[in-house]
Amino acid sequence: MARVRPSDTQPLLPLDRIIVRDAPSDESIEVDVLFVGGGPAGLAGAIELAHLVEADAKAAGGLGEISIAVLEKSAALGEHSLSGSVVNPIAFRRLFPDLKDEDFPFRQPVKHEAVYLLTKNRSFRLPTPPTMRNHGNYTASLCEMVRWLGKKAEELGVDVFAGFPAEKLLVSGERVIGVRTAPSGLDRDGRQSSSYTPGTDVVARVTALAEGSRGTLAEAYIQWQEIKSENPQIYALGVKEIWETKKPLDTVIHTLGWPLPGDAFGGSFMYPLEPNVVGLGLVVGLDYRKTNLDTHGLLQEMKRHPLFRPYLEGGEMVEWGAKTIPEGGFYSLPDRRFGHGVVILGDSAGFVNVPSLKGIHYAMQSGIFAARTIFDALKKGETSAPYLASYDELVRDSFITDDIFRTRNMRLAFKSGFVLGGFKSVMMTLTGGRLFGKRIPIETDADVWKQARSPKALQPDGELTFSKVDAVFKSGNATRDTIPSHLITEGDVDREVAEMYASMCPAGVYELVDGKLRVNAPNCVDCKATDVLGPRWMPREGGSGPSYKRM
Amino acid sequence: MKIAVCLKRVPDTETRIKIGADGRSIDEDGVKFILNPYDEYAVEQALQLKDSAGTGEVTAISLGSSASQETIRTALAMGVDRGILLETDALPLDPVPIGKALAAELGSGDYDLIFFGKVAIDDYSHAVGTIVSELLGIPSVSAVGRLEIADGKGTAEREIEGGVEVVEFSLPAVLTAEKGLNEPRYPALRGIMMAKKKPLEIKPVELEEGGLSVVELSVPPARPAGRIVGEGADAVPALVEALRTEAKVI
Repeated sequence: MARVRPSDTQPLLPLDRIIVRDAPSDESIEVDVLFVGGGPAGLAGAIELAHLVEADAKAAGGLGEISIAVLEKSAALGEHSLSGSVVNPIAFRRLFPDLKDEDFPFRQPVKHEAVYLLTKNRSFRLPTPPTMRNHGNYTASLCEMVRWLGKKAEELGVDVFAGFPAEKLLVSGERVIGVRTAPSGLDRDGRQSSSYTPGTDVVARVTALAEGSRGTLAEAYIQWQEIKSENPQIYALGVKEIWETKKPLDTVIHTLGWPLPGDAFGGSFMYPLEPNVVGLGLVVGLDYRKTNLDTHGLLQEMKRHPLFRPYLEGGEMVEWGAKTIPEGGFYSLPDRRFGHGVVILGDSAGFVNVPSLKGIHYAMQSGIFAARTIFDALKKGETSAPYLASYDELVRDSFITDDIFRTRNMRLAFKSGFVLGGFKSVMMTLTGGRLFGKRIPIETDADVWKQARSPKALQPDGELTFSKVDAVFKSGNATRDTIPSHLITEGDVDREVAEMYASMCPAGVYELVDGKLRVNAPNCVDCKATDVLGPRWMPREGGSGPSYKRM
Repeated sequence: MKIAVCLKRVPDTETRIKIGADGRSIDEDGVKFILNPYDEYAVEQALQLKDSAGTGEVTAISLGSSASQETIRTALAMGVDRGILLETDALPLDPVPIGKALAAELGSGDYDLIFFGKVAIDDYSHAVGTIVSELLGIPSVSAVGRLEIADGKGTAEREIEGGVEVVEFSLPAVLTAEKGLNEPRYPALRGIMMAKKKPLEIKPVELEEGGLSVVELSVPPARPAGRIVGEGADAVPALVEALRTEAKVI
């Protein structure tokens, strides 16, 4: 039986393209602090910093005016943001101590919750694991939360620039001095069309990389600086749909088991946003063992299960999206998340707690901590690494590290399979992580061998189940179809590898045509799954990709 | 040259429109708004004229709610010099009171050219530009696909059924922009930054009610699902038959 190791055909991250030592152009824009990425981490950081600067001005602290900018690659804030999501409100409360939970852009408090183990036709209710208890949390749409945070940031004088992906990290010596945004108006062959606009250099005293999962600049910075972690980072891919349903749902549902094969780690969720609007999705670790695993296809299959079908039948799928999640946890955090003129926040740093399925409040809190550190550094007039080191200390002494440390081996235990992994994770829960507490070493997802299997054909009915093409349409993807490909592939790859890409990519970007890999780059919804296992994702023209509304 | 461009804030073409509870308006919750796409051509043309003349000023004027400031900022980011918002809570369906309010502002501005988009993609009335020219007593050319201005005179081309119509006109004039008049520029980062500092004047206006009212809004009926007649050459007769008898297109 043929086997595939994805790393054998994975191009290297082109550091020379991403990290540039050019002097900033004469047309550059100068700001004091730049947040790269308008998600929960970047916006919370910008808001906290604006609060601190405002308070300093009131107290005649002498810092003076500080310009804060946020760059976001999607056409409008929130359009590339996707999460479950059941959100822990703690970071919102800390960011806005004067507001009440009702003022926040949440949808509903979690009233009921249930965890099921699924077989093909049946479901067995399980006791809710302590890590997954959501009492006091809220269902919410990350798009809506991000738009709300963006408005707050702008009210505080933060310059939010949506539609401007940061493409290159500008450095001088070991110091990060800013970013260059991606140009727009290139044709398919990379030539300048009549609407060509070059990228803009944005120079900052501190650049906060908050690009989300698998952030390109953050990855490049970590590789360039050779920052180590005890374990490599590993990822899962989540595919999610929003449905307007006929039958109301009042329970936050999680499932394990079917339709995932026993050698894949993951599970599903279905959350009510409104009584008749649900978000449901399936998340699968990218260390799965057979090349034909297709998360989108499995989600389609899953909707036919008697647990889901009654809610969805007669309803309408109104949105579709996909995103990777960093799942490595505590041991995969980079040894340092700061450097000369730079800090790394949120998902880009890996602040996700997989057993509780949470990342948003960690992302926001990391932004808040970064803002405090940056504020102190600005006060001292010095933003080199020693002045930004306290960011790591604030994170280390907070609930972020407490939570992620307690569950440090739970995801990793599932490397030994579903049953044994399940047993170990129960024991870890019971002992607060002390039993089986020693680090379980893991390899990167791309180094995990996969058995070659032919792709499974999906037979969508267009009502309950959908093809990848229809799905991409529902993501609101209106990428100009004449942009140059932003995906770097390793030339002609073997059939098995091409089939693996085609199965893995939820958006139908990769196809096998006449035995060769074809790349439909405009389909890409920036989930970054193949960036983990195969072709590299690079920033492209602003406003490309999906336009999520309620994800 | 003094140029005015009139702008409208409209729902994004990609947006999924829902009808509000009253059955006569759209539910704006979660709807993304943009600068009317035809107005983008108007803005671009105004900027190109100013650039080629080397002097002049372009003013963007919008009539609408306070949120239309965002729409004006988009034009400012593209390069327009200043903005005026004629602020009103709600726009009537009737284009006449809208034309009157705009004409009142435009009449005092001493503009050489006044641009509109050919149509606003939300109400599709095509009328406001022409009404304004009538109220101001100056010529108007609608759906301009090509434009030249020289020596205080203009030449415009309009695409008409089966050909092109060439129109000469004197200045001042009202022009409405057709798709393809130019390729609108994207606002650059620097432009957006500078737009925040450009002047944007807000003037409250009272509109007449007008003579039209919306009785009902409805979404078009869903399109029936497609059908695969067969595959390969053998399926051609069945396809031809279906096109002839069912679809009645051949």
